[in-house]
Amino acid sequence: MTSPAHTPNGGSPLPPVPHGVGNSSGTPVMAPTRAAHSKDGATTTSLGTFGVKSGLAQMLKGGVIMDVVNAEQARIAEEAGACAVMALERVPADIRATGGVARMSDPKMIKEIVDAVTIPVMAKVRIGHFVEAQILQSIGIDYIDESEVLTPADEEHHINKHAFKVPFVCGCRNLGEALRRISEGAAFIRTKGEAGTGNVVEAVRHTRAVQSEIRKASVMSEEELYAYAKDIQAPFHLLKETARMKRLPVVNFAAGGIATPADAALMMQLGCDGVFVGSGIFKSGDAAKRARAIVQAVTHYNNPKLLADVSEDLGEAMVGLTIDKNLPGGHLAARGW
Amino acid sequence: MQPACPRQDVTVGILALQGAFAEHQVMFQKVSAKRKVVIVLVRTPEDLDKCDALVIPGGESTTIALLARLAGLLEPLAQFLKTKPVWGTCAGAILLSSAVENAKKGGQEVLGGVSVKIARNGWGSQVESFEVPLEVEGLRESNRAFHGIFIRAPVVMDLTQSLTEPPIQVISRISSSLLPASIGPLDEDDTDPRDPRTIVALRQGKHLLTTFHPELTKDNRFHEYFIVECVLPTLLS
Repeated sequence: MTSPAHTPNGGSPLPPVPHGVGNSSGTPVMAPTRAAHSKDGATTTSLGTFGVKSGLAQMLKGGVIMDVVNAEQARIAEEAGACAVMALERVPADIRATGGVARMSDPKMIKEIVDAVTIPVMAKVRIGHFVEAQILQSIGIDYIDESEVLTPADEEHHINKHAFKVPFVCGCRNLGEALRRISEGAAFIRTKGEAGTGNVVEAVRHTRAVQSEIRKASVMSEEELYAYAKDIQAPFHLLKETARMKRLPVVNFAAGGIATPADAALMMQLGCDGVFVGSGIFKSGDAAKRARAIVQAVTHYNNPKLLADVSEDLGEAMVGLTIDKNLPGGHLAARGW
Repeated sequence: MQPACPRQDVTVGILALQGAFAEHQVMFQKVSAKRKVVIVLVRTPEDLDKCDALVIPGGESTTIALLARLAGLLEPLAQFLKTKPVWGTCAGAILLSSAVENAKKGGQEVLGGVSVKIARNGWGSQVESFEVPLEVEGLRESNRAFHGIFIRAPVVMDLTQSLTEPPIQVISRISSSLLPASIGPLDEDDTDPRDPRTIVALRQGKHLLTTFHPELTKDNRFHEYFIVECVLPTLLS
């Protein structure tokens, strides 16, 4: 629930843009801070602290974040009760279908979406592409998804997310991957699942993996935790914090393949804090109705009678894909480490 | 409304439709007051019936309002706050206000209850979210600053109480130098100490409104304040 309160104060003057990996200037790497002094010099404010980054994710809990490709879809999502929207050029199902390199969206399209809605707007950047992230930060996006759904720009390095004041969400398949992303500065974690398939099986696999590893860690002695940190390639201090809290130290949503209210409630009952729905909404028959039903399912996930009511008569769900070696567009979850 | 006999417990509901309701629950568990605090997560009108007081948490105000309507809670909530204390944080403060600026297209529902006009996302996007120490009147150990966490926070634009309504009591302000540039100064030298936009915590009658997030800190003095100053007095009367 509570996140570690990282509140860096008194940072040195910052460069105009955050530097990512590959920057060799030796600039201290921490969340940028802006100090404002009152007349007596006692009051200090901090912008872009880890506290406000992970805090926004906490405000999104129990909510549904929906993929949208234009302002009109964003308005439908907001009216249906989305707690945020993810702006992107093509939903994952279309990225699978059309192939080619998938990149950050046109900033003009993202700005139109920002202007159309009052809820937070997120957008995706390619794994490791810190300049796409600088661009999104400069246009005032609320959250960045460093996403395996886009074609990776760097196969070895993820973005150094501490260097930004805009917060990041990242995907994971297991506890080690989640903690590696948090150590790079992610303030919000989601399962990778298998985006654009309408098949929830991978999201379930990844959530169960994370939960089971947390349960294991939570009963370990300190010596065992050192060894386990080596096994799962996670920073020890984050693993220890996770074991103590018996949950990830940041908010954890499900993503990748959620297509129905029942899928969403399943992920909530498995212990996720909320869900991302990508292709599942705007690739279905009645997007507005399905979106609203999924929003209700996430709030009332423990109420099967209500789940039955909202699942009725939603029209056609998106066409699902089985996940095997012939999956069109390949296995996106394998991107990143 | 009044209990038949004096009770030992006080039941505080937390509106659990969307947002940071679990964080409030954790904070209340650490409050020590004269009466034991029992928490109910409110998702239906039946849940609300059990409560002596209610917290509306941070989250997305448009999402919470829609879910409240779909759950048949809007009317029961409006009735509830006529007689019982309610505390709104951030999105909850927006829902508790009587008018909203920067509402979503087509407008959005609010409950009323506190006579203020409030602007959503007053500071702009997430990159403008910030933390700042606050001086708060009436908190335990009030000489110790309270850590204010402002996330896409709303701004109080105007106090609109009429003579027949309970007076508004300001309990915390920020420096006017921290106000968002987009709103601009109220007067030329921007030093009016009564500028409503510097208000970040206020009370009207039994209700409490904060534009920041006490539930994201480890400091439960605000939760204690709500129980001791807003809730317990209504149970004695």
